[in-house]
Amino acid sequence: MTTYAFLLDLGRCIGCQACVAACKTGNELSPGVQYIHISEQTRGVFPALQSSIKNHRCYHCADAACVAVCPTGALYKEDGLTRLDASQCSGCAYCVDACPFNVPQLVNGRSNKCDGCAEVVKAGGQPWCVKTCPSNALMYGERETIMAEAHRRAEALRVRYPHAQVYGETQLGGLGVVMVLPDQPEQLDLPANPQIPAVLNTWQNVVQPASVGLLGFSLAFTGLAAIIARRNHKQEVAHLHVQNSAEETAAVQPDHANET
Amino acid sequence: MTTNASPTRKVLRYSVKPRLVHALLASSFLTLLLTGLTLLWSPLSPLAAGGLMRHLHYVGAVLFMAVPIVYLMVDRPAAKELLWDSFHYDRDDWTWLKHVYAYFLGHCEGMPPQGRLNAGQKLHHAGVVIFSASIVISGLVMWFGKGMLNANGLAVAAIIHNLSMLILTVLLIGHLYFTFVYDALAGMVQGYIPEAEARLEHAKWVESLPQKEPWLVEEN
Repeated sequence: MTTYAFLLDLGRCIGCQACVAACKTGNELSPGVQYIHISEQTRGVFPALQSSIKNHRCYHCADAACVAVCPTGALYKEDGLTRLDASQCSGCAYCVDACPFNVPQLVNGRSNKCDGCAEVVKAGGQPWCVKTCPSNALMYGERETIMAEAHRRAEALRVRYPHAQVYGETQLGGLGVVMVLPDQPEQLDLPANPQIPAVLNTWQNVVQPASVGLLGFSLAFTGLAAIIARRNHKQEVAHLHVQNSAEETAAVQPDHANET
Repeated sequence: MTTNASPTRKVLRYSVKPRLVHALLASSFLTLLLTGLTLLWSPLSPLAAGGLMRHLHYVGAVLFMAVPIVYLMVDRPAAKELLWDSFHYDRDDWTWLKHVYAYFLGHCEGMPPQGRLNAGQKLHHAGVVIFSASIVISGLVMWFGKGMLNANGLAVAAIIHNLSMLILTVLLIGHLYFTFVYDALAGMVQGYIPEAEARLEHAKWVESLPQKEPWLVEEN
């Protein structure tokens, strides 16, 4: 199965915010909502200052925590990307709590995040952010192609930036946004080895099957048993009334005998 | 089994206060169950989108947490007795539990005499107390713990919350089953049950009742 990915080259990103604007416009996002957040970061002490661009967005993890905890299946994996069917979302916010990159947000009671411009891409187009990027920092295509391009760019970047590297090849099973970093991940506010706690997979693997199984069994078992048990109880109560009537009669008869 | 019970006599099973507390518990629990289902079960999730069900869930949670407080306020002796009974089992209770399958299938005759709660009801109430505590604590963590706990902590709280609700729902199914089999609804709605049936199921309790109104009444 072909999987797709984004290339995000932070060596080329100039922080112009064009992708932010294109994403907001193309996806018709409500005021105050955006899927891409770009900020400039400055590190070090003057005069040895270094700056970099932070391009925060959904990284479309292969082992996506949001997908693992979503109880309704609104979040799911498709073509290597993490899609969101908002009509299935109940707004439980489990994905908001689970995401190691703090990406999904609740908007109007439903989860909201980048879905890789699913509609546009399926129609043969390119995602809005990729289409508008003026510095060629963004690409979209088959993951293998993207990965090869990422390594080529990182190699070229290492001439000036010795710590340049590819991020997202293995992290969380492989990210759907493969990044070319000019420096170590920690220097760019990215976790070197992000982890999803094993307990997150418990929801779909244990809690849901256990709930359906146990509730189904309880309903079926008590439903069948109720027919037998109610009949038994009614017979027992009827027998009790007969017994009580007989005892009352026996108690009354000696009095009658005395009267006569 | 001799009951010495009059067919026209009824005994007071639940006075007004415990019935009102039960109604509060039942309505808040069902609110939590249904609103929780809309959050977790995809066929119902469109009802939850928009946040109304989340807010109703919070309202249900406040009412649910208020139940023990309200019970202690309106009928402190009954609340304390219920809690005490739920965790204390005598020899008859253990023997009763060994033969619980007979009771499950609608047979009371031959079972050891029981107090106000039979041993199964004691276990049920103990389960309700324990898993209500775990669902309340985990729910409060999920409600107010965001920002204080990491993803792992919140996921553990959510799993405890959901498994607690699963157990409480299974207990509810059992509760409804025995209510149906033993015609117990009238006791919780009207308060009184036929003396003969009370003696059959709770002989020790009926013996301990004062033999006068309002505990015993003659039905016309």
